[in-house]
Amino acid sequence: MSTESATAARPAAAPSLTAVFVRLKLSLLRNGLRRSTGRTLAYVASLLVGLLFAAGVVLGLTALRGNPHAGALAVLLTGILTVGWAVMPLFFPGGDETLDPTRLVMLPLRPRPLIVSLLMASLVGIGPVVTLALVTGAVLAVAHGAVAAVVAVVAVVLVLLVCVALARAIATASIRLLTSRRGRDLAVLGGLFIALGGQGVNIAAQKLGRPDGLAVLEPLGEVLRWVPPASAIGAVDDAGHGAYGRALAGLALTALALGLLLWWWRRTLTTLMTSPDSSTLQALEKGGAGTSGTGERGLARLLPDSRTGTVMLRFLRYAWRDPKSKMAWATALGVGLLVPIATSAQGNGSIYSAFSASALLGSQMYNQFGQDTSAFWMVASTIATPRDAYQELRARALTLALVAVPYVTLVVLGAAALIGPWSDFMEVYGLSLAVLGALLATGSVSSALFPFSIPAESNKSVAPGQGAIAWFSLFGGVLIAAVLCSPLLGLTIWLHVAGLHQFLWVLLPIGALYGTGLAALGLRVAAPRVVARLPEILAAVSKG
Amino acid sequence: MANEPEHIEGRAETAPPQHTTLTPGGPVTAAGGEVTGPPAVRIQGLWKKFGEQTAVHGIDLTLPAGRFIGLVGPNGAGKTTTLSMVTGLLRPDAGKVEIGGYDVWQDPVSVKSRIGVLPEGLRLFERLSGRELLGYIGRLRGLPGEEVDKRAGQLLDVLGLSGAQHKLVVDYSTGMRKKIGLASALLHNPEILFLDEPFEGVDPVSAQTIRGVLERYTASGATVIFSSHVMELVESLCDWVAVLAAGRIRADGPLAEVRGAAPSLQDAFLELVGAQGRGAGADLDWLGGGRAR
Ligand SMILES: Nc1ncnc2c1ncn2[C@@H]1O[C@H](COP(=O)(O)OP(=O)(O)O)[C@@H](O)[C@H]1O
Ligand SMILES: [Mg+2]
Repeated sequence: MSTESATAARPAAAPSLTAVFVRLKLSLLRNGLRRSTGRTLAYVASLLVGLLFAAGVVLGLTALRGNPHAGALAVLLTGILTVGWAVMPLFFPGGDETLDPTRLVMLPLRPRPLIVSLLMASLVGIGPVVTLALVTGAVLAVAHGAVAAVVAVVAVVLVLLVCVALARAIATASIRLLTSRRGRDLAVLGGLFIALGGQGVNIAAQKLGRPDGLAVLEPLGEVLRWVPPASAIGAVDDAGHGAYGRALAGLALTALALGLLLWWWRRTLTTLMTSPDSSTLQALEKGGAGTSGTGERGLARLLPDSRTGTVMLRFLRYAWRDPKSKMAWATALGVGLLVPIATSAQGNGSIYSAFSASALLGSQMYNQFGQDTSAFWMVASTIATPRDAYQELRARALTLALVAVPYVTLVVLGAAALIGPWSDFMEVYGLSLAVLGALLATGSVSSALFPFSIPAESNKSVAPGQGAIAWFSLFGGVLIAAVLCSPLLGLTIWLHVAGLHQFLWVLLPIGALYGTGLAALGLRVAAPRVVARLPEILAAVSKG
Repeated sequence: MANEPEHIEGRAETAPPQHTTLTPGGPVTAAGGEVTGPPAVRIQGLWKKFGEQTAVHGIDLTLPAGRFIGLVGPNGAGKTTTLSMVTGLLRPDAGKVEIGGYDVWQDPVSVKSRIGVLPEGLRLFERLSGRELLGYIGRLRGLPGEEVDKRAGQLLDVLGLSGAQHKLVVDYSTGMRKKIGLASALLHNPEILFLDEPFEGVDPVSAQTIRGVLERYTASGATVIFSSHVMELVESLCDWVAVLAAGRIRADGPLAEVRGAAPSLQDAFLELVGAQGRGAGADLDWLGGGRAR
């Protein structure tokens, strides 16, 4: 495909190069969609969702027309949009093939016409269309009068160009990083950032939804309206109020930013295309990667030399070094802590929200072998007896418990201290340990019976076609874990109802013992099934 | 680069007595009947289907112990599928596999400690450094920690990986990955080594290193069974070959016998497969790579 465009581009001058790139982008898009109907559907669906979302925002903004805080909101929206464009290429480097200038290195193209053409080509796509709609909505909310309308048109074009140029320039500048392993590791963590960002937006939206919530934005808007490209939107607002000097300054700032971006992009592109490529990068990476920590050696010495210690050490190393494991751990630890904090911040907290810690950490036991990817063959080729499998699973459960038990203790203690009452501490702590044990038990059985593969190089956590297994095993397992814990729950309720509050403390030792017993039982049940199903597990976790 | 694997020692101490009287070119049938001990591998009626496609089409094969054995065939012939089933990584639809006289699926304890495997297309625990990986797999195999570390050091040395031993395997090149895979397959001093395309994507220097280690290892009486689609490689390394095409064994036995009157193994192979009515042009896919040795 690129050779095609090369022959087309060589004799032509700059203007037609743009046409070539736009056509290249369109045909890449078309070919991508032609590959499967599923992809076409997904594409159309995301286009529809994007447009619906944009339409909703535009309607909302138009409704806010005349609101004294509309200007601040429009400016803020533009700012968020810009940040989105800036981080997008970092997390979805594969998203746009024309975005990767290294593919063009072999072509005899000069940077300036190349940049103009690339910029135009990248205006094709869902993102720019949605952005156009959103920015239009933003100016609709603030444009009052004929002058403001003219400024608004200029502002929309400028903002769109700045966003696209920003994404391109950042993609080019970080292409070295993105094509290296560390960059790809970063991309995997992108999902987490997006989830956290979404949570932040959610909380912010709730705050703004309150009466007079928009007033909160004013100080932020005051600053942002001088930061390009939001300054262009600020300029529209100013023009509406007759502050033409400020309006001009705002537009000029954005135009200047666009110029600087293009200049920076051109410079990085030139360096990139004239300097040696990724082979030198590997040499660079060598220095950084050789840090198999001396701190870990202490850990290695602490753990026994047996299979148990060996597996635990590998598991812990992976928790830190493997982006997927790291993300799973970070999510479990973070969300487990966040739920009690968030509920208590909303004022209707309960100490029972501390269960989230043991629930999330316990569910880490699910799909143990999927976490190994196809490297599971190394495990499989050293498992010959149920005893081997038992030790393997037990070591993993122990590692989880090693982190989970202190963590759950801390979270329950914290919940008791911050939410209270302390009188419930013993029962919640005991029940949490039982839940943890039950999840370790069902997790090991489910790891043996319902393994599924976790694709390594994307931020998906399930290979296509295995989604049903993943959900079924997790939800089924959690349900069974709940059933397993029901006797203890029954005891708790009974003690409450019968008014035997002085005996509630027994739930702590009983819960701890019950959880340990369940976990041990689960491991015993799972081990022979792992041995019997080694090839099936390997096949399941090697897919995708 | 250490081409002489002088540190690898001790096979003779622990390995069971092996027959040393090889009779190349002798009157050996496909059953390999002249071997005194149990054969390294005995396969009977092995089948594997993937959906509609039959990847392995009823293989019967006996491979003698103490040889350097090549399993050759074009891409898609079923080499990986066969080796996976033989080493217990893939469950056959039908058939029986014995390794050193022990049934792979009935007696995994006896089998798994006796074999070393380097599969193709499966990953390693790549977020460990080379040395950590060896330490991990050696201890999983139940070797004492000190012994693992000693052997790991020697293997890394011999394979020229000492400089990269603290680098994560994910940053290794293809050749380095094959070498660290070979090291982890050799660590527990297995009697039989199964290698799937061990030279695929490996540069000549690394290939020579791997070759040296393997030759030294077979010289001590162990068995190496490796698959390749490169005929010249097999011809230059092996003393026994099995030719696989479209999921069936086309010929097997001592190299000289399989080659017969043909000038090279490749010609012999073309004859064998051509007789089945496949155009020679369709087979040229295994010719490429430029790694002929
Ligand atoms: N997991 C699988 N699913 C479906 N088909 C497979 C699978 N593994 C192998 N095959 C098919 O079986 C045939 C033999 O493959 P393989 O054993 O990998 O051949 P070789 O290793 O000789 O190149 C090929 O046609 C391949 O497409
Ligand atoms: Mg193969």
